[in-house]
Amino acid sequence: MQSEILLRWIVLVPLLGAALNGLLNRRLSKQVAGLMACASVGVSFVLSVVVFLRLTGMEAENRLVQDTLGTWMQLGHFHVDLLFSMDQLGAVMALVVTGVGFLIHIYSLGYMAHDDGFQRYFAYLNLFIFAMMTLVLGGNLLMLFVGWEGVGLCSYLLIGFWFNEDANASAGKKAFIVNRIGDFGFLIGMFLIGTILLPHLNGDEGLFSFTVLREHAGLLAPSATAICLLLFVGATGKSAQIPLYIWLPDAMAGPTPVSALIHAATMVTAGVYMIARLNFLFVLSPTAMAVVAAVGGVTAIFAATIALAQNDIKKVLAYSTVSQLGYMMLACGVGAFSVGIFHVMTHAFFKALLFLGSGSVIHAMSNEQDMRVMGGLRSRLPVTYATFMAATLAIAGVFPFAGFFSKDEILWKAWSSGNTVLWAIGFLAAGLTAFYMMRLVVLTFFGENRASSEVRKHIHESPATMTIPLVVLAILSLVGGWIGWPHFMGGGGWFEQWLEPVFATGAQAGVHGAHTGAAALDVMVQNAQMNHAALETMHETGMEWTLAIISVLWAILGLVLGWFVYFKRAGIADAFKKAGGGFVYRLLLNKYYVDEAYDAAFIRPGYRLSRSVLWKGVDAGLIDGVLVNGSALVVYLLGSVLRLFQNGMIRFYAWTFTIGVAVFVLYLSFSS
Amino acid sequence: MEITLTHYLVLAGLVFITGMVGFVVRRNALVMMMCIELMLCATNIVFAAFARLHGDGGGHVFVLMNFAVAASEAAIGLAILVEIYRRRRTVNVDDLKTLME
Amino acid sequence: MEGLLFWFCGGMLLLGGVMMVLQRSAVVSAVWLVFAFISAAGIFAVLGGPFLAVMQVLVYAGAIMVLFLFVIMMLQGPVLEGERRLMPAGLWPLVAVPPVAVLVLIIGYLRSDATVAFAASPPAGFGTVESVAGLLLGRYLLAFELISIVLLVALIGALALGRGERKLPWK
Repeated sequence: MQSEILLRWIVLVPLLGAALNGLLNRRLSKQVAGLMACASVGVSFVLSVVVFLRLTGMEAENRLVQDTLGTWMQLGHFHVDLLFSMDQLGAVMALVVTGVGFLIHIYSLGYMAHDDGFQRYFAYLNLFIFAMMTLVLGGNLLMLFVGWEGVGLCSYLLIGFWFNEDANASAGKKAFIVNRIGDFGFLIGMFLIGTILLPHLNGDEGLFSFTVLREHAGLLAPSATAICLLLFVGATGKSAQIPLYIWLPDAMAGPTPVSALIHAATMVTAGVYMIARLNFLFVLSPTAMAVVAAVGGVTAIFAATIALAQNDIKKVLAYSTVSQLGYMMLACGVGAFSVGIFHVMTHAFFKALLFLGSGSVIHAMSNEQDMRVMGGLRSRLPVTYATFMAATLAIAGVFPFAGFFSKDEILWKAWSSGNTVLWAIGFLAAGLTAFYMMRLVVLTFFGENRASSEVRKHIHESPATMTIPLVVLAILSLVGGWIGWPHFMGGGGWFEQWLEPVFATGAQAGVHGAHTGAAALDVMVQNAQMNHAALETMHETGMEWTLAIISVLWAILGLVLGWFVYFKRAGIADAFKKAGGGFVYRLLLNKYYVDEAYDAAFIRPGYRLSRSVLWKGVDAGLIDGVLVNGSALVVYLLGSVLRLFQNGMIRFYAWTFTIGVAVFVLYLSFSS
Repeated sequence: MEITLTHYLVLAGLVFITGMVGFVVRRNALVMMMCIELMLCATNIVFAAFARLHGDGGGHVFVLMNFAVAASEAAIGLAILVEIYRRRRTVNVDDLKTLME
Repeated sequence: MEGLLFWFCGGMLLLGGVMMVLQRSAVVSAVWLVFAFISAAGIFAVLGGPFLAVMQVLVYAGAIMVLFLFVIMMLQGPVLEGERRLMPAGLWPLVAVPPVAVLVLIIGYLRSDATVAFAASPPAGFGTVESVAGLLLGRYLLAFELISIVLLVALIGALALGRGERKLPWK
């Protein structure tokens, strides 16, 4: 069927764009390069829409389009294909990635217009889209991993884009290395899966193919905890959870559109996507699910506290991203995979908008990022302000913006699965989110401008290429959540319904595994025939309403408090500091000194080890000394022995001849 | 006592050894060349003995070839020695070791 | 009769060889070698090769040794400076190894009963000029021609080497 072939082009067209921009570089004018880059992502988006529409026309149980480029590896029973596949989950991810990616490409045309590395930037950006699409549309775990590594690479390239600054290059390295640490866990998890499954497969079935993994999930059940925890380690690296989140704030050294695309909307969600994709595996291990949920929850509130004290506008947004990713992990951990993906989608809209908006602000403020010297930009940057406000309302979770629907759903799932503690953590963090976002808005857009007069002169609204994407994203931040309008509010819950076949086993078992209370639900779940829609009607819709209303009120409270503290009475913050909160403030400002702790615990000892043992001991001593110089010495000694035979004395040579004759003669006489 | 093939072979062997030892011991290049001639002579004796054993004249022919070869080799060798003497003023082979390592 | 001749000529040959090696003077060595060659001619005669015996005297003793003597006289002079003492005593054992080996072979051979006797008398015409000539120009014609080429080459080579430094046309 035709749509099969389209799949490969969705992935490969951006690669083509990257290759052209990368190889031709300066030979292409900025207009052509930018046009080509945007066009390639645009084509990907259009093709994704086409295949998506095809999927809608298919039966709900069989919504799957697959495209095989060929066999990648075949070694006995070990068989891996170059397989792309799009099902309901893949469609959602593909649309989000290419759609938001396209908008960010447009935005970058304006933002990077004066940069020398314009073509290189777009080459990297296209390459990223290619890698991300491989990750999302990969039909087996190995293709996913290829994309996983690819986005890690592009993240490195783009964070360190302005590599002339040492700090940027270091940030890029940090991102890549920390990711690698996570990937180590991911790989071990994959190896475990492979070892367990390989004996049971014949050579035709692709190992690691998702359909195969799903079929044989039973075989993996005994080791599911180990596998899932290992895979989750990879997810903590890629999706910036505790303990491997440390690279994300540093990644703000890259261009702001990069932060928007990679570190808000797409790459960091790869961990969530992976867990959602392997839901049938994760639900086999209640322990792993609990760990995922716990880590997600703790990360959410942990990062939110740090965001309270940051002065760099992008750092606040970075920690905000870490926090929101925690929410997504929380959702997956309690078995609500589709809700987690829902939040991925809405978060992509409003977080990208927030970053792009901040980019607009930074652009206007002549590359100033410290909020302490901003202020009063509301009148000078009206479009930026309006869209930014929309995003803030969305992230705070105010009805009817997108963030409300997804975040509220997450909190509800946490509550209804019996994890009241997790619900409380999420609830608290939501309040903090509203507070620090309002702080950001106030410091940036309200009050008097605190910058120098030089900077003030240049404040201007951004060009159309930058503001149009902002507006589009603002609209999406408003209406994007409406496709998930929940049942209890009279909607059809279409988003969850769309994704249901992917998570069918997941949702049921997740609720079963993770809850500790709600006896009524318990009885229902025992009955395996119960389908998910029936479960929904069993929910206490009254409870849902209550929690929803509390969430909205709490969010509004947070917003108002933020407004109050930072606009009306700017002195409250200082009073808090003087009143002994200074220690807390310093702790938050310095991100709980986590980086310093890692440095002391791992980096310094590692460095010492490398220096004294591996460098001096092994490299200089063993390899240089024994192996290289040693072998030379052996040759030299051997040579100096053999040299004695080359003394130029003819008589000596003649004598050796006679010895040879003697040997020959003796041999003959004694062998006969 | 009857002279058998063995006697001639033993004689040739002893002559050969004499030549071989002389070649190694002497330093004078000319004497060394003479030792070579002695060794060749020993081989001639062996050929002649076997020719007599088999009644085949081919052995004698080979001895004649050997004569010619020995003569050629002596001529060339001595010519080389003369040339060396002209350059180095010595025929002591111990002094001719520029090919040493 | 044959036996006596053999022992006599053989002994002389060995004597000549040993004396040649042990002499300090190169000229005396050369003379002893001549003596040895003449004894060798006697051996050839005993073996029924009169032609060979005559050729031995003519070529070896007569031509080659004369050449040697010429060169000896031309160069160094009889006694080489470095040969005042023949060889440091300590090295004799080393040098003796090969001879000992060959002697072992010989002794082994002698102890075994492998003796091959000659025919009582050689076939008719054995070793005469006619028979050798017939073989040379008959069966071994190719070898004969080749050896003449060898002699030619040696002739040219000796001439070229012996001429010394002369202005060559292409220098």
